[in-house]
Amino acid sequence: MKLKKILNDQRVVLTLLTIGLFIFFGLRNSAFFNVDFVIYPLLRDGATLTVIGLAQLCVLSIGHLNLAVGRMAAVSALVAGASYQYWGLTLVQGAILGVLAGALLGAITGWIIVKSQVNAFIVTLAMDFALLGLVTFIYVTFTGATAAFTTKPAGMDYWRSKSLKDFCVAGICGPKSIPMMLLPAIICLILVSFMFSRTRLGRELLSTGSNLRAAKLSGIPVENRVMTAHIFSGTLAGIGGLMLAYANGSFTAAIGSQVMLPSFLGPVLGGTLLAGGAVAVLGTFIGTMMTLVIRQGLSVQGIGLETLNIALGLVLLLALSVGQIQKMFTSIKLRGKK
Amino acid sequence: MSAELLINKVSKEFPGVLALNEVNLTLTGGTVHALLGENGAGKSTLIKIITGIYLADSGSLKVSGQEKRFHNPIESTHAGIAVVHQERNLIPEFSVEENITLHNPPLKLGIINRKERTRLAKQALETLGFEIDLNERVKNLSVAQMQLVEIAKALVTNAKIILLDEPTASITGSETSKLFDVIKRLKSQGTAILFVSHKLEEVYEICDTVTVLRDGVSVLESKSLADYKQGEIVDLMVGRHLAERKNIIRKVDRKATPVIELKNLQTSLGHRNISLSLYPGEVLGMYGLVGAGRSELARSILGLHAITGGEILVNGSVVKIRNFTEALHNYRIGYVTENRKEEGLFLDFPVRKNISVTILAKILQRLSVINPKKEDDIATKYVDRLGIKVVDNNQLALTLSGGNQQKVSVSKWLAAETKILIIDEPTVGVDVRTKASFHELITELANEGLSIILISSDLAEMVAVADRILVMRRYEIVGDLDNSKDYQNMSRSIMNSIQAV
Ligand SMILES: Nc1ncnc2c1ncn2[C@@H]1O[C@H](COP(=O)(O)OP(=O)(O)OP(=O)(O)O)[C@@H](O)[C@H]1O
Ligand SMILES: [Mg+2]
Repeated sequence: MKLKKILNDQRVVLTLLTIGLFIFFGLRNSAFFNVDFVIYPLLRDGATLTVIGLAQLCVLSIGHLNLAVGRMAAVSALVAGASYQYWGLTLVQGAILGVLAGALLGAITGWIIVKSQVNAFIVTLAMDFALLGLVTFIYVTFTGATAAFTTKPAGMDYWRSKSLKDFCVAGICGPKSIPMMLLPAIICLILVSFMFSRTRLGRELLSTGSNLRAAKLSGIPVENRVMTAHIFSGTLAGIGGLMLAYANGSFTAAIGSQVMLPSFLGPVLGGTLLAGGAVAVLGTFIGTMMTLVIRQGLSVQGIGLETLNIALGLVLLLALSVGQIQKMFTSIKLRGKK
Repeated sequence: MSAELLINKVSKEFPGVLALNEVNLTLTGGTVHALLGENGAGKSTLIKIITGIYLADSGSLKVSGQEKRFHNPIESTHAGIAVVHQERNLIPEFSVEENITLHNPPLKLGIINRKERTRLAKQALETLGFEIDLNERVKNLSVAQMQLVEIAKALVTNAKIILLDEPTASITGSETSKLFDVIKRLKSQGTAILFVSHKLEEVYEICDTVTVLRDGVSVLESKSLADYKQGEIVDLMVGRHLAERKNIIRKVDRKATPVIELKNLQTSLGHRNISLSLYPGEVLGMYGLVGAGRSELARSILGLHAITGGEILVNGSVVKIRNFTEALHNYRIGYVTENRKEEGLFLDFPVRKNISVTILAKILQRLSVINPKKEDDIATKYVDRLGIKVVDNNQLALTLSGGNQQKVSVSKWLAAETKILIIDEPTVGVDVRTKASFHELITELANEGLSIILISSDLAEMVAVADRILVMRRYEIVGDLDNSKDYQNMSRSIMNSIQAV
């Protein structure tokens, strides 16, 4: 009975599936177990994509979506990069400035949605286009052909390449496979999870997502909550953008251009409802890791890009159906034993 | 007479509850059969089994002598069964006409024949005597109008068996009597009709036979209704003798400063010259027919619709309330909606979270964290006080029976402990016993100093609890009557003032 209940939890199923896939790929090709070339980068990418997934999750919680996550990440990297290159700020100062830029963009987006009453889909889509133009324009104007800010503040490479192995307490060091980049992701996971599961703010966000009219009539300041969700989204996208830039080693317009669709995969695979009202924070991490394991696993098998994408699509479809299939089983049970 | 529908020993279990336990029911053509029982007794579950929404765990179902097992609603529709479910199932973005003909739109060469569709929908509404614009989108209708559309939708199908799950819960007397005329005509044509209602007066007016459910058991099976007195039926539903309650006239100090006063209020929706005062500890009733603009007035006061003239005073000073958040936190005014499914409940949240939503600020610990124990205690308090039938506080609102959902929707506003409460149709779909205790609760709260505006289309309820009754008609107040708590008397004066203008 208890085991059944545990197996009914989508997160447990996903975790088992991810680990299973990981071992499967490793057994087929032992190159997949290589720490330096596979596991470390996998976890580092996972960390970044998780944070961006959380940015998406924050707006999904109220039933909105943010098609501009990637571009918000780009702006944040741009601001940080410029601050290092031209104003000589330290790593932390620039990072703070970058994240603030993300938050500001989120606030502007939220404000437009509230005031114009236009669907978030349209507003963030427009935002995405506008920011794409802006970001490219700025890079080209200021750096010409290089189209990148290349100044690295002290400590940037630490995040890019260090692992727990370099983090020693009383002579005992951590494993080499765990990148330092996982640290900010874990902090974000804990904070976001705490907010949604325990605090009033989280409850108000979820209520707004569950039934907007009921939330409004219950005295919840729904317009403020729409703003809040988008500010959180922008902030997390900003953090994600910085992580992308640090991992990349320079600040370019291409940062964040690949993350919009993946940002939905993690949360949705994890069990977040697109319609709002329920989020899966830890699930976002697990879901993200699963997509990465599949992608990396298939490419280590030497599968060509097209085949890889087809296979990836199929596996994702299957994984996304896990929840649906489970629901079907429970509803059969509900409908009668026969 | 032949039995159109025969239900034999049907059982159905949900996690934690046995909703139906070997229930029997015989429905004959040309009769109206009452299906009665308290909230959560299993009435809607039985109807959902007959229509193929749920599968029974055991037992059998015969339609016109043939054994059937419906796996989905389409199969039951084909077998000649039409239904009005307790919860409305209209498509908000579609027009009235489209909704009425949704299940079998008239086709010509595979394309919808619009002319024929209009004719069908128009005919359906005309036979019912309802006046609703066929092209209006359903989302713009009032709750009562939606209910009428839902009824029309079931009646266009020419079914042999019609199941009506609380069709009259949110409509007023005059629409109900129009519906009854149609039911009588269908009955004379040999249709078998199952009728669920908590309004026993109606049941006695229209029904011939009766089945009573108590906790999933059919304690009275397909008997002639005329053989039972109303009191006996109630005792059967409740399982013990229920004492009648006396109405007492309360004293309200009308010299005090009104907690809410409206002066010549006008709204963008068309309210004109609305002036009224609500005194501390008073229960002010608002009666009117469907479309009188009562709910709309309440919502305008709370900032949902624009005020275009006149003023609102709270405790003697002029105020501008912009939204429900301000109403709750700055003026301590609450509003219980008449539309529990769309506006009152978070269906995919547990009961606990539904009740605590208005009082999150009061149950916080450090870091703005919701104290789970306090939250649970408050939920338990109201679950007990209103007798909400739940497995535990974590049961999803979605899986409660209609009447119990209604109680949850009301609970969250009782929990808010406001100074002023506007209650819109609080006992829609609530059973006899709970209704009585709810009326007691309202009086109790008023005695403790809560001022209440009660909007209700249930005249008996109005007379039982209001201190004063305002009558509205077409967005105007047309009567202001002191309640003598004498039903005959009051209903006559109210009807007079509605018709007088
Ligand atoms: N999908 C479900 N999952 C779990 N429990 C359910 C579900 N549907 C109904 N129930 C439970 O079954 C019981 C009977 O519910 P039902 O809706 O049939 O009552 P009812 O007689 O129609 O009451 P009401 O007068 O309030 O409409 C209730 O205890 C309810 O909580
Ligand atoms: Mg019911």
